[in-house]
Amino acid sequence: MSEITLTELEKRYGETTAVEDVSVEIRDGELLCLLGPSGSGKSTTLRMIAGLETPTSGEITLAGADVTDQPAYERNTSTVFQDWALFPHKTVLENVAFGLKMRDVPKEERRERAEAMLERVQMGGYGDEDPTTLSGGQKQRVALARSLAVNPDVLLLDEPLSNLDKRLREDMQIELREIHEDLEETFVHVTHDQDEAFTLADRIGIMDQGELIQVGEPTEVYENPANRFIEGFLGDTNFVDSEVVGVTDGAIRVETELGYELVLPTDRDPDVVEGTELTLSLRPEVLSIERDPAADAVEGDEQPVLADGSTLNAVVGTIENVLYRGSTVRYSVSVNGTAMFAERTGASTDALTAGEEIRIEWDGTDVLAFRADGSRVTL
Amino acid sequence: MSSNLRRERLETAAFRAGYLALLALMLLPLLVVVVTSFSGTGRLAFPPESYSLMWYVEFLDSVRWLDAFTNSIVIGVGTALVATLLGVMGAFGQEIDDGSLGSILAPLVLIPLLIPPVILGITLLMYFNEVGLRGSYASIVLAHTLWATPLVYFVMRSVFSRFDWQQLDAAQDLGAGPVQSFVHVVLPNVKHGIFVGGLLAFIISLQEFVMALFLSTPSTETIPVLAWTEIRQALDPMVSVVSTFLIVISVVGILLAVVATNLEWLSKQLS
Repeated sequence: MSEITLTELEKRYGETTAVEDVSVEIRDGELLCLLGPSGSGKSTTLRMIAGLETPTSGEITLAGADVTDQPAYERNTSTVFQDWALFPHKTVLENVAFGLKMRDVPKEERRERAEAMLERVQMGGYGDEDPTTLSGGQKQRVALARSLAVNPDVLLLDEPLSNLDKRLREDMQIELREIHEDLEETFVHVTHDQDEAFTLADRIGIMDQGELIQVGEPTEVYENPANRFIEGFLGDTNFVDSEVVGVTDGAIRVETELGYELVLPTDRDPDVVEGTELTLSLRPEVLSIERDPAADAVEGDEQPVLADGSTLNAVVGTIENVLYRGSTVRYSVSVNGTAMFAERTGASTDALTAGEEIRIEWDGTDVLAFRADGSRVTL
Repeated sequence: MSSNLRRERLETAAFRAGYLALLALMLLPLLVVVVTSFSGTGRLAFPPESYSLMWYVEFLDSVRWLDAFTNSIVIGVGTALVATLLGVMGAFGQEIDDGSLGSILAPLVLIPLLIPPVILGITLLMYFNEVGLRGSYASIVLAHTLWATPLVYFVMRSVFSRFDWQQLDAAQDLGAGPVQSFVHVVLPNVKHGIFVGGLLAFIISLQEFVMALFLSTPSTETIPVLAWTEIRQALDPMVSVVSTFLIVISVVGILLAVVATNLEWLSKQLS
């Protein structure tokens, strides 16, 4: 059963379109992360689910009921805000009990439930404190308790961790995950931090310029991105411009800006012709660095096709820069004047230095290709 | 270097002295009013020939003055209530819905302040005659509200601009309807501002003379109107006594406003 369905949701402010044609089904009990850069419309989408914004067009249902025109106070959703929006003139306990008070829960009961909720977020004993004196992490916990206290069908989280420092943020991510598993409620979590989305999400919905581009499990969106934007947004990659010079059964040959002709193996009709411009994505984790530039596999600029249909591609370049990042070492490499980068784990003993000539190898099946409009070429 | 510093200090001192002198010059008439109220003779002169409380006793014995005093308070409180209600609602409505109506609200609210009170007074007199409100408290309250509402409105605009509106979202999100969220979340945050706005409206009404002159009847005349009538007949220290009361009320009002806005600061200092 789907807990929330959004159908062709759209939000315009005058001339600007904040959210455009967003349709998605959010399953009961799942934790969906809406991920995207700032201004991509993810918070606006969340606020429309909460009822804090009215959609210009489209439909929202919660648990099967159409709530598109229902105000926020009639929806059983609850939001944790980015700045937490605690009521400064109320005590911590009064903050947490506020939703219950609005639901006319008797005083004694709401006090007990609020205290239990504070215990759960490890803020027991802080009930009489003034929320303005709390630290960011504590405020975040109180805001979470306040939202959970009303026992919402859907918990909406609008970048609540973005104002916390890295360590605290990571702890809270794990705690949120645990709370979600305990409650088995539907969570929609908005974030611009891909690590956070990958840590938390059952499924990730990626937004860009008001559109929901792809929804899928973290591994799915990472390994099988719908378009070039997602490939570039999720982690680092080398985008290499190229042009198709030949299409044969099972392989596309492309001439790249690296100065090499590469072979992309394909097992279906890729819908490209000679002359189509493609952008190839070479993720650092599929590249391996070999010390010896003149390996036997590379002869000129012809790339061999192996027996299993994959291709071994290799390019030779010069290390220009070595960036030591602790767990990994990143090498900036110039391949015939075009810059790209590759990584090795920091544990590698045979350190490479700037100026060295090296060979970068990868399996042609690991390469993703995108058309000029950003759409993915199915290989 | 040091001569520069000295010059700077001198300039600052000169500026302060000039500023204080100007302030004193403007406030001195008030002192004259207060001092002459303690006159022991029937002549309004400064400095008085002798001092006594006889004019205060006279004031407390005079039914007409006490009635005017009551009228002023009733009309002032009425104006404060109506103007505060309108000003707060206008400013609040504009914050939560910035439609096209909202953009013309500020100039619209400002209009009464730009019209000379004489013209407003005559116009309102004819108008209230038509609708049968002439001679009532309501007519003066409404006239004063025209003036006081813009002031409350602009005070509230500035108060609301400092309010964290996400709190309103949070309240509605937690199930508070429009009235509940206003009462439980907005009001506690802006109550000091509302109090100051209301006080301002009260003081405006208390000292307003021109419109009250047109609109009041003997049974609703306010202190400024009665004072004017009395001065035209005889210039005695009673006017000073009444003025002293008005000054005291205004000063107390301002002090209350200061205390109200700094109450939290004060409580932090004391704890």
